[in-house]
Amino acid sequence: MSDLLRSYLTIAIFSGAAIFMAGMMLGIARVLRPRHPNREKLIAYESGVDPVGGEWVQSQVRYYIFAVLFVLFDVEAVFLFPWAVRLETYGGFGLVEMIVFIGILALGLAYAWRKGVLRWS
Amino acid sequence: MTLAAVLGAFSRPAVDWHALAPEVVLLGAILVIIILDVIDEERFRTFIPTVAGFGLLGALVPVLTLAVDGTDRSLFGDAYAVDNAALVLKALFLIAGYVVVLISIDYIRDGDYYENEYYSLMLSSLLGMLLMASARDLIAMFVALELLSIPAYMLAAWRKGSQKSNEAGIKYYLMGVFASAVMLYGMSLVFGLSGSTNFTAIRDALGGSGDPIPLMTIGILFVLLGFAFKVSAVPFHTWAPDTYEGAPTPVTAFLAVASKAAGFVALLQLVFVAFVGRDDVVQPLFWILATLTMTIGNLLALRQENIVRMLAYSGVAQAGFMLVPFAVSTDSGAVAFQAVVIYLIIYAFMNLGAFSVVMAVARKTGSGQISSYGGLFSYAPGLAAAMTVFLSSLAGIPPLGGWFAKFVVFRAALDAGNISGAILAVVIAVNSVLAFGYYGRVMKEMWMNPVPDGDETPVRVTPSIALATSLTLVATIAFGVFPQIVARFGELSSQLAL
Repeated sequence: MSDLLRSYLTIAIFSGAAIFMAGMMLGIARVLRPRHPNREKLIAYESGVDPVGGEWVQSQVRYYIFAVLFVLFDVEAVFLFPWAVRLETYGGFGLVEMIVFIGILALGLAYAWRKGVLRWS
Repeated sequence: MTLAAVLGAFSRPAVDWHALAPEVVLLGAILVIIILDVIDEERFRTFIPTVAGFGLLGALVPVLTLAVDGTDRSLFGDAYAVDNAALVLKALFLIAGYVVVLISIDYIRDGDYYENEYYSLMLSSLLGMLLMASARDLIAMFVALELLSIPAYMLAAWRKGSQKSNEAGIKYYLMGVFASAVMLYGMSLVFGLSGSTNFTAIRDALGGSGDPIPLMTIGILFVLLGFAFKVSAVPFHTWAPDTYEGAPTPVTAFLAVASKAAGFVALLQLVFVAFVGRDDVVQPLFWILATLTMTIGNLLALRQENIVRMLAYSGVAQAGFMLVPFAVSTDSGAVAFQAVVIYLIIYAFMNLGAFSVVMAVARKTGSGQISSYGGLFSYAPGLAAAMTVFLSSLAGIPPLGGWFAKFVVFRAALDAGNISGAILAVVIAVNSVLAFGYYGRVMKEMWMNPVPDGDETPVRVTPSIALATSLTLVATIAFGVFPQIVARFGELSSQLAL
């Protein structure tokens, strides 16, 4: 067996152990716990509030645009934080690079704004 | 210990801006288009195709200065190379992109489409292709592939109101993502086995005299098959006709020429650099793909009634011819590499030309049926003559460009000097004859048949389409009469470390 495959053996053992542990805990709990299902227990959990409608609700398609914009700026943050920590060592070069990066992203936001994506109605 | 001490001192990476200038110019053009769109969409509407066109021509300038300079440059830890091969292909992408912009202008203006986004997305896709031409590393190649593919998925669905266009976009997207996933899996296996993502390092690690282990075979196959989707090789061609038919015609031209060329550029780097020591895996794979692609593409093209679908299947068959040199990659070496580059250049011009005539005719007849070309010669002799040149060139009739393209592929197959090469040469010969069947049918419609609805008002050819048609016409004829021009580009590009 090659070294590569041998190192996958570790992963296989680890996955097996994980499945065994989780299965054992759930299995024992199932044997031990009392079971008294009633209507309240079976309805969808909605943070303690009485649920409105079924589980398969349609969500507003407009959230999708906000989700895309959110991902955009989330990724920006991922780059910004490590850069900010090391800004002193990167010096002027790092500053210019990040300004270019943020500038392009800001242009994307300006575009979205201008096209009325940020307006709800 | 402080964080800075762990990470070590930072040294500013040396960036060769001259080598990156084509990409920077193109990126600048994209940004200018978006800025103009943000400032005042309506006022700059007519101005934006001009910006796109000049952006592409502007990006060609540093390509030329780099070619004059002539030194091979390597950037970003050998992940990105600017050598003759990259420059020839970059120039091809930029010129093809320029022709596509020319044939897009009227179509996009007259239809009810988003205009400014169209050009910025098309330029983004071309930027990905420029990166692809230089990528010498699995990761760089994958990033380039996604950058060129994702805008193309959106462009395929550009006719928002049309169900066919939506189908085109979705099919292209799903198949493209599936191919990317397969390819990534293959790349992860190749990386695992070779310990590097760099092509030359992979070559040194994978090459050897022994039989390849099964895992290596699977890794190489998956990477190559991912690109086989991109170039619509049979049996991975099923998305192509539907996507080509549904997408707006200029986008179809873009996909059939530039996007396909990008796939071949990637295959060139993989087959002739990264996997060059594994011809026992690569050659049989491409032998099967090339034979199937040529034959099945041609047979299906014979049955098409729609001109764009016919050109789509003809494009599949042409891809088959381009796959032939890969099947003799080691046996013929540099000759095979040159054959692919030469075929790519000539194919780009003749196919773009055929699409620009299709666009011009569709503006009058509003139909994509082959029967709507009946009697084209009687009311639009110029277009009919140009279309005849392009179709004859695609069929490989001397003295047009397509003849030389077929010839170099044929020579590469015979240069291998073995049975498999000889069989391929026979398949090429048979398919060249077969292909004339459907190209000839369109010619017969144009020259011999009557006009279907008797409407003989001349076709109004817009200046931009006329320019695109004449550019491609001149190139198609010049490459056939003076094949040494294009052969020189082929020679330049093959000065790899073969």
